[in-house]
Amino acid sequence: MQGKDYLKNIVAPVKLRRNGRKRDLTEFMSLPALLLFCTFFVYPLLKGVQMSLTDWDGMGEATFVGLANFTRFFQDSRAMGDIRTTLIFAAGSAILLNLIGLLYALLMEKPFHGRSLTRVIIYLPAIISPLIMGYIWYFLLQPGRGFLYHAMEQLGTSFQLGSWMSNYPTTMMVLIFVNVWQYAGMTMIIYLAGLQNIPTELREAAMIDGAAPWQRFTGVTLPLLLPAIRINVVTNIIGSLSVFDVIMSLTEGGPGYATESLSIYIMRMCYGSRTGYSTAVAMILFFIILIPVLISMRLTREKD
Amino acid sequence: MKKLLAFVLALALCLAAFTAVAETKVNFFTGKIETIDLLNEIIGEFNAANPGIVVEQEYQNDASSIIKVKFASGEVPDVMTTYEQEFVDQGKYLDLSDMSDWWNRLIPSMRASCTDLKTGNQYRVCTNMTMAGFFYNKEIYAALGLTPATTWDEFVANLTVIKTQMPDVTPWFIFGKEAWHLGHLIEFIPHGYLKQTLGTLECKTAMLNNDSAKLNFGAADGCMAVFAQNLLDLQANGLINEDVLTATSDNCVEAFVTGKAAMFSNGMWALSGILEANPDMADKIGFAPYPAYMPDSKPVVLCAEDSGYSISATSENVDAAKAFLTYLFSAENQKKYSETLGSPSAFTDVDANWAPAAFAAEVKSVLNSAVNIGFTNEKPAGFSGDDAGRMVQDLLAGTYDAQSFAKAYEKAWNEGF
Amino acid sequence: MKENKVFKAMRILVLALICVMCIIPFYVLLVLSLNAPSRVFYEGNMFVPTFAFANYADAWGKSRVGLAMLNSGVITFGTLGLTILLGGMAGYAIARRSTTYNKLVFSLLIGCMMIPGIINTVPLYTLMRQINAINTLWGMILVCSTLSMPSAVFIFTTFVRALPRELDEAAEMDGCTGFNVFWRIIFPVLKPATASFVILNGFGVWNNYAQAVFFLQSRDKQNIPQALSVFFQQFGGAKWHLMSATAVIAIVPVVIIFLLFQRQFIEGLTEGAVKG
Repeated sequence: MQGKDYLKNIVAPVKLRRNGRKRDLTEFMSLPALLLFCTFFVYPLLKGVQMSLTDWDGMGEATFVGLANFTRFFQDSRAMGDIRTTLIFAAGSAILLNLIGLLYALLMEKPFHGRSLTRVIIYLPAIISPLIMGYIWYFLLQPGRGFLYHAMEQLGTSFQLGSWMSNYPTTMMVLIFVNVWQYAGMTMIIYLAGLQNIPTELREAAMIDGAAPWQRFTGVTLPLLLPAIRINVVTNIIGSLSVFDVIMSLTEGGPGYATESLSIYIMRMCYGSRTGYSTAVAMILFFIILIPVLISMRLTREKD
Repeated sequence: MKKLLAFVLALALCLAAFTAVAETKVNFFTGKIETIDLLNEIIGEFNAANPGIVVEQEYQNDASSIIKVKFASGEVPDVMTTYEQEFVDQGKYLDLSDMSDWWNRLIPSMRASCTDLKTGNQYRVCTNMTMAGFFYNKEIYAALGLTPATTWDEFVANLTVIKTQMPDVTPWFIFGKEAWHLGHLIEFIPHGYLKQTLGTLECKTAMLNNDSAKLNFGAADGCMAVFAQNLLDLQANGLINEDVLTATSDNCVEAFVTGKAAMFSNGMWALSGILEANPDMADKIGFAPYPAYMPDSKPVVLCAEDSGYSISATSENVDAAKAFLTYLFSAENQKKYSETLGSPSAFTDVDANWAPAAFAAEVKSVLNSAVNIGFTNEKPAGFSGDDAGRMVQDLLAGTYDAQSFAKAYEKAWNEGF
Repeated sequence: MKENKVFKAMRILVLALICVMCIIPFYVLLVLSLNAPSRVFYEGNMFVPTFAFANYADAWGKSRVGLAMLNSGVITFGTLGLTILLGGMAGYAIARRSTTYNKLVFSLLIGCMMIPGIINTVPLYTLMRQINAINTLWGMILVCSTLSMPSAVFIFTTFVRALPRELDEAAEMDGCTGFNVFWRIIFPVLKPATASFVILNGFGVWNNYAQAVFFLQSRDKQNIPQALSVFFQQFGGAKWHLMSATAVIAIVPVVIIFLLFQRQFIEGLTEGAVKG
């Protein structure tokens, strides 16, 4: 039994082991990784935090402005719209990714001929560069000109996506769909691994007890799947709240600023000579990510 | 342990190999995709002829963003094609005013366009002129007996004739997925009106000082509101393409060369793409000015400096950089450059075949008949041309009416300062 | 547990549909890449290409995707090597010496996974310039390793923690140094965790664009996404056949590597990653 409590640790990072407190040089074998990380991440990060309290435009002198950048953010209607877009996208993506990923995993659980190939095919979209993916999807979905439009015409069906980009709900739906399409395989793989680690005896015992399929699912499978649920929910929340590529390649945040996400906003502010302000927004985004992550960790914590 | 030692050694070797440097390196940063290959050729010749100097070209899609990070961190290329007013104000560029060998060969009006209004110095040399207006399909115009419009009413009448006589043809193709294109419409039409009535220079000064009495963007009958209303009317009457918000410039080129679009607005840089997509278009492309759309306005055409080169004020290789530019600016190289770029040279001694002869002649006659306006870099740092374009997207998506668009534009402009 | 035949058939059918959905974009890309340059994609039967294989030769010659692949390969290989070594060591230390210091290290790394990278852009660029790391593959390797480190430490820590202590304790008793215990005893059994790490992070490094834009500027150092994006710009629009042929060329090695490692990857996940 290797890697037994791989996932417990996402909640309680380091559990004390009675015999794990020995102090010797081995303890400091984490030092090289820490040094690398501090040099190329923590140090620039601290500088960035310092910048968020100034009005630096990226070139001239920086003046300390305290928390002015933060208050300005909450008064900006474009920024508030971006928060809405980001939250809608993230909620839609995280929920659908988990439901669909779990559904795929349940369908794939029992062995069948060609299972390994199917697994590869479903995972395939996740390994392709978002840049290429963006070009293909726009080519497929472009209203009135894309591949889908002409294909539907050739096949003689009347189904059309219409001008999905001129209508906010459909635009968001398309964005979420493409994101789910790309990453459902990744979610599925983790659920699949989780399912395979549930001892068959437990489920068989429940069956002998006469539990209905739904009861078996909620009573036995789901609780034992908690570690996989946690890893999927947390990574999907982080990924979809900081969404950039999918939106940039399909709508560029448009029309206007309708589908602009916070990450795109930060990027545009950073290059629009509002460097100090953009770092402040990046810190706000950090908390927007942190809160749901902490909540979902607590909700999926196992009872020891 | 041995493996680790070998690993550390290998790492150290790599480090040592990468830190060895010898020659004068001139970093050349460009955002001009059209000239990458030609410049590599020219750079190769220059490097071969000048031992001790190595020019390196760096191209970036998003050059104007990347250069900001470079300036912010202090790593600045020696030579660059990106030029922005805020960098001028910060003293980031080397003063090139005394490079008389270059200036003596440049068309005087182009030298004026290269001049910074605040200091009166030149911080860049523009090798080309570019023009922007309407590209139209001469065949369609001839078949319907149309002539290019000079007033907005004529313009709308032309579009209407095209729509009724040729229902499959998009009268005016706007590729609004690309924010820069819509930003250019603002720059050429409402800003164009200001430049025409105030004069390009005075307009630039008014923009620099945010002189709201002169700019007056928010006025209910001002240039911005009328422009917005005109655009909304065209959209409502189906005189522009239905997919204006999702169409790309590639779609536009395709529609134009297949005869499915009668006209579009763009600059000379679009020419090479059209001819490449369909060489038969060479004698079918016409060029027309932006029609007069305000009570007191005249037709305008953009005639501006293009392809500017600057040297960093902090460059340690100024002499090598100047030597490289002198080589690049030679009449022989500029002929190739102008033909690759598809726009006329700004140097008086360069005689290039930059476009099919008939087209070049028509451009020339438009320049003579319409008011020539310049391009304004003097915009607020926090409100770029792309930002303006995204506001037009909102307008076309139905977020604004003409009045509220003008008000919102004025607000965004002021906040950008 | 026996499954109803009808039920099974339906399950297979649904899975087949899902696979079709996953494949369509790739199929379209393939069709486009094999269309003759003059063909308008929706004329004739749009699902069957005209098999213009010359597109591939043309794309290979005009783009710089070959060199870019080499660069991406070096970066990915270097990053994975460095992260596996340092991350593995850290994972071992954190799992076996759960002191306050190591707890802090772990929390710091995991906490930073949630911080949007752009906040670092300007300071990191300044740092990279100071150490002459701009435009170098080793600089890019260091940056990519830093970004992958939290995930590596997380995977290795949890994996080592689940290994029986007897494995390394005996060696420690014999007086082996910490590094020797790790290198000789722990590292060889980390294979499944390593496979998971490689698959979950390797493609991200291969496809990296956000950092490459800043740190790999010269044409000779460009990686795959940069080469593609330049090529797409240069030969935009009308030349879909070239763009898609280049994209296919860039995708093929990724798919091959994935196919080669996928079995170990799945095993790694099942054995290491998601056990309760």
